Parts: sequence; structure tokens; C-alpha cells
Amino acid sequence: MRRFFGIATMLAVMTGAHVMADTTVTMFQLKVEIKDALDAYAAQYSAAHPGTTVSVETLGGGADYGGALKAKLQAGQMPDIFVIEGQGGFNLWKDYAADLSDQPWVKDTNLAFKSGGKVYGFPVSIEGYGLAYNADILKKAGVDPASLTTRAAYEKAFKTIDAKKKQLGLDSVVSMAASVAGGMWWVAAQHNLAVYWGGGLAADDTSIINKALKGQLDDARFMQYAKYLQLLYRYSDKNILLNGSYDNQVGAFAQGKAAFLHQGNWVDPNLKQLGVTFKIGYAPHAFLDTPEKGLFLFAPSWYIVNAKSPNAAAAKAFLAAMAGTPEGQDYMVNQAGMIPAFKSVKLQPKGQLSQALMAANARGGNYGVFFGMLPDGFGQNVAGPIFDLFAQNPDNINQFVADMKKAVAGIPNSQ
Amino acid sequence: MHKSSLTKVLFVLPVLFAFVMVMVVPFFFGLYYSMTDWNGVSETINFVGFVHFFNVFREPGFLNSFLITGAYTVINVVLVNVVGFILAMIVTSHLRLRNFYRAGFFAPYLIGGIVLGYIWQFLFNNALPTLGKLLDLDAFQVSFLSRSDSVIWAMSGVNVWQYAGYIMLIFIAAIQAVPSSLMEAAKVDGAGYFRRMFRILIPMMANAFTISLFLTLTTSFKQYDMNLTLTNGGPAARFLDEPVKASQLLAMNIFDTARANQMAQAQAKAVILFVALVIVALLQVWVSKRREVEQ
Repeated sequence: MRRFFGIATMLAVMTGAHVMADTTVTMFQLKVEIKDALDAYAAQYSAAHPGTTVSVETLGGGADYGGALKAKLQAGQMPDIFVIEGQGGFNLWKDYAADLSDQPWVKDTNLAFKSGGKVYGFPVSIEGYGLAYNADILKKAGVDPASLTTRAAYEKAFKTIDAKKKQLGLDSVVSMAASVAGGMWWVAAQHNLAVYWGGGLAADDTSIINKALKGQLDDARFMQYAKYLQLLYRYSDKNILLNGSYDNQVGAFAQGKAAFLHQGNWVDPNLKQLGVTFKIGYAPHAFLDTPEKGLFLFAPSWYIVNAKSPNAAAAKAFLAAMAGTPEGQDYMVNQAGMIPAFKSVKLQPKGQLSQALMAANARGGNYGVFFGMLPDGFGQNVAGPIFDLFAQNPDNINQFVADMKKAVAGIPNSQ
Repeated sequence: MHKSSLTKVLFVLPVLFAFVMVMVVPFFFGLYYSMTDWNGVSETINFVGFVHFFNVFREPGFLNSFLITGAYTVINVVLVNVVGFILAMIVTSHLRLRNFYRAGFFAPYLIGGIVLGYIWQFLFNNALPTLGKLLDLDAFQVSFLSRSDSVIWAMSGVNVWQYAGYIMLIFIAAIQAVPSSLMEAAKVDGAGYFRRMFRILIPMMANAFTISLFLTLTTSFKQYDMNLTLTNGGPAARFLDEPVKASQLLAMNIFDTARANQMAQAQAKAVILFVALVIVALLQVWVSKRREVEQ
């Protein structure tokens, strides 16, 4: 009897311990700007769910997130939730990506990361860009932003504003950075080049980038794109274009020294910090001769649940709560200032550019962003120097086209 | 006797253990990975032999990095040592405030490479062009960092500014170790300042040159931090008719390759850097050693 009692107690203790065992979901993410908001939300979630603790680690900005994640894997500390930024990242980590097709948020979004008919990635947010403009300056210069729908219209508007630079207090018409030195290859060789991959096409039309993955450029279309880039380069401030950092580029626009800014809605917090009070809107990157009105919308990154982790279920529950509960939606929109990728969320972010994107998203007719389909390192190591060279000498458009043709021809061999 | 050698072994053991674990073992792992197709994550690792070693030499970006790293190293080895030696001669002379100068020349070495890179980037990109505009000097109006022909010199200049003070310290110690009786005897015999310097002082401190040359050579070859913050590899330039990064030294080329998830290729490049560095450094030590005099 006594022995039985002992065993019973032991069993009770064991099962009790099993129920009470605290599951710690570790999350490793790269958006520095949402760190505080996410930490607070994780703490709030942990408090509301006894038995689950979510701990978030953030590494981003200029840091090497991919390298750090590999180091964690080798150290046996693979996080339960981690981030990928596109097809390249998925190819690398696919052995660790849990199938999320059965999750409740899947039918609520168009931007989940899919591969082979299954859903693997939770879209962190919607980001997007067009050519941001200072509405006050455009009004003073007599340019109607609604007219900016073709390259010819841009050329005319740039010329008009350029002629009035002095009286408008401008250094240049456009604020754009394209240099390797300033670490701004991604503005030119990734975001601007995405205009060629997806501009003017249906949001899911990947024909142009698929062609590039086979090593070919669409010559006529690329020539129109090159002329558009040339136009932006010619009306940009040389110093910012060839040397400037992110801060230099955004700062020039925020101080009213440039009428246009080539950046996405992630600059909203920066503009707020710099005390911007003027009205801002988005004009389309209209590089074609035919009118274009859409903006570029995409999910810049996705959360992946580690399929090999024993905590995968708790990690999935955490993500489901983020998308599906009022607390989670409040975190995404009001605390982190992101545009949620889920249709059922009715909250509005406060930033002017984010609001412009939300409006564009509701309006429809936007374009897809496909640079994530390119091989890793193509933007930084291959296209980056080409765009820098073209910025150094914007007259040499034929050299730029030849360089890009050669670079794209090399894509099939680099995979 | 036996006991004391056991003590020696015990004393060496902790450091030896650390050295083996963080240097020797990873080195051989690295050699192995350079001959595979590993991407840093995948569980299947295939042996591919020397493929990467042949491929990297067909990559204009890597060849360019190799060449400019060589140029950068030569410029630095010469300039850092010449400037360091001149500074050492100045602060060991009968100069007033010489301790102040010693501290002043050494101070840049205490600033980390990252901070230093940002400071000089500001000077090159903002301060100098503004000065150039004020004084109407064309040469200064465009930043030295955005011209592919001057960027290596600008980087070398910053490196000399940082490193010469440290080399100066080594030279000061060596100069002070030269017996003053030798110098005085030469002076009495009528040898001039430069004759004494080249015939007595420099041969007597040849071992200091061995170590200084070795230090400047290896640090220039492995330069990364200042390269990253000062130029980030830019601007772009044309090499073998391909766009490349004009100031991307080898270490940065290797890191950027690894960052693009080409771990095995990056590792092959690292092995090449290692071999090149070992050959050059051994050659330098061998040549320098033959010049040293027994005191």
C-alpha cells in the first residue's frame, strides 16, 4: 500500500510537472525598428498565456542576420521562430520550415510565403514604395502629382521643378542614393530594379523575372527602364547619389531640399523624428511610355516556424494570436507602426506613407516585387557595382544596358 | 628537473587548449569545407574537390580584390614604417615636450577601426569638399573616397595615421636599446647624422624592423573594419571589363561571398588568403632576419 502510494505520488509529480512545464518559444528577428513593440507584445502574450513564455532576440540594421542564424544552428540554439526574406532564404532553410497551411490566418492574407502549394511563411507586414513627393513643393511648382503616370510626364515635371530650384529652396529634384560606398545599393539595384521586374504588370505576373532567371532581358522594356533610371539619376543630388547614406538621403527630403524621395514607407518613423509637417504622397514609378498608376507592395520578410523544434505548436499559436486577436493587431499597427498583411485588420497606421500605401492597397492595381526570387547576393555583389557605375556617369546608358545584360546572362550559372 | 617541465606543460595547457579549439580545429574544418558544396545550413555535404579554387580565379571581383590588397599592403608597409621611424627619431631627439608628442602620435592607435573609419569618412566626404569649395580648389571638391583611382591612397593615409604611432613605439624601444657609446664613438670619429643613422642605428635595430614589417604586412593584408566603415568597398570601377568594387579588400570580398550563402566559395577564398599571407610573411621574415646583427 505504501509502495503504491509512493508510485502514485511519483506519477502525480511527473504528470504534474509535465503540465506545468514552461514552454519557452524563442524568436529571432531582424527588424530593429519594431524591437521595443515586439518585446512588449511578447511579454504581454506570455503573461496572458501561463505555461508559455515568448522570448524575442533582435539582430538587424547593418548586422549579418543570416550569419548569426547559421551560428545559432551550429551552436544547437536554433530559434523556434526565425525570419526569411525570400526564395533564396527559403531554399537555404527549407529543411527547418514547418508547414503552416492549416493555420487560421492563411485565408486572411495574399502574402503568405508559399512553395509547392504549401504555406510556410507568416507575412511580417506589408511594405511598399513609389516615388514619394513633397506635396507642398509640387503645388508651389505647379505640378499635379496625379499627372505623373508616364516617363514623359516625369521628364516634364522634373524639368519644371529644376528650373525653379532656387525659389523653391531645393538642392535637387530627387533624393536618391545608389552608391556602394554609402551601403545604398539596395535602393537602386534592388528596389529600383524591381520596377523593371514587375512594373505595369499584374501583381502576380513573374514572366519578366522568370526570363531573367533563364538569363534573358526583355530588351525593349529594359531600355525604357534604363531611360527612367537615367532620368532619376540626372535630377538627383550628386553627393547623395554617389556617397550618401540612408540618413543623408532621407534627411535631404525631410528638410525640404528635394521634391521627391526614392524610399518606401519604412521611412515614416524617420520623417516623424525629423519633424516633418508637410504633406507627403506616393507617385507611381512610371517608367513606361504607357500610363502606370500602381505602387509596389510586398511582404519584405516572413516568420518561419522551426519544424524541428519541440515547441513548434506553441510558436504557431503565438503567430496565430498575432494575426487574429485584437491585442496582436494593436501591436502590429499601433505599436509597431506596420501595415498588416491581413485583410480582417481594420486599424490604420499613422505614418503618411503607410496610409498612402493602405489606400493604394484598397484601390488595387498595384505591382509585385520580385527581387527576392533572384539568387542570393545578386543585388549587392553583381548589380550594386553596375548601378554605382551608371550613377557615376548617367550619360553612358549603353554601357549600363550591356553590363546588366551580361549580369543577367550569368544568373543561371550562379544558382 | 622533471618536475619543472611538468609544471611548464601544465602552465601551457590552458592556452594550448584554447588555441587548438579556436584556431587549429576550425582551420582544418575550413580546409575541408572549402572542398565541399556546403552552404552553411544543409545537412548533406558533398565533396567537390578543388572546383572553388579554380572558379574564384575566374571571378574579376576576386582578382581585383587580390590586386588592390597587394597594392594596399605595399603602400602601407612602406609608409607606416617610414613615418613610424621618422616619428621615433623625432621623439627620441632632445625635443621639448617629447613625451607629449609620443602620447599624441600614439593616440590614434587607441581609436577602434570602426570609429576611425566613420570619422575619416566624414572628413573625406564632408569636411574636405566644403573646404575645397571655400578655397576654390578643384582637387578637393569631389571626395577622394568616390574616385576609384584615389580611394586606396585615402585608405592607406588613414591606416598610416592610425598605425604609425604604434610602430613608432616599437622603434623607440629599439633606438633606446642601442648603446649610446656606439653612437658617441661614431660621432667622435666624425660621422654625420645621416651616416650614423644608416650605418649604425638602423643595422643595430634590424630586429625591430623585422617585427614592424611583419606586423604592418599582416594587418594590411587582413584589413577589414576600417575598410567597411570608411569605403564599404565603393566606389564601383571597371576591371577586366566587369564592374567591380574599387576598394573591396580581400577580407571584405570573402565576407560578402559568405553573406550571399556561398560559404564554401568564401572558405576557398579564405584558404587562398591564408596561403598568400603565409608565403609573403615567411619571405619577409627570412629576408629581414638575415639583416639582423647579434649584439
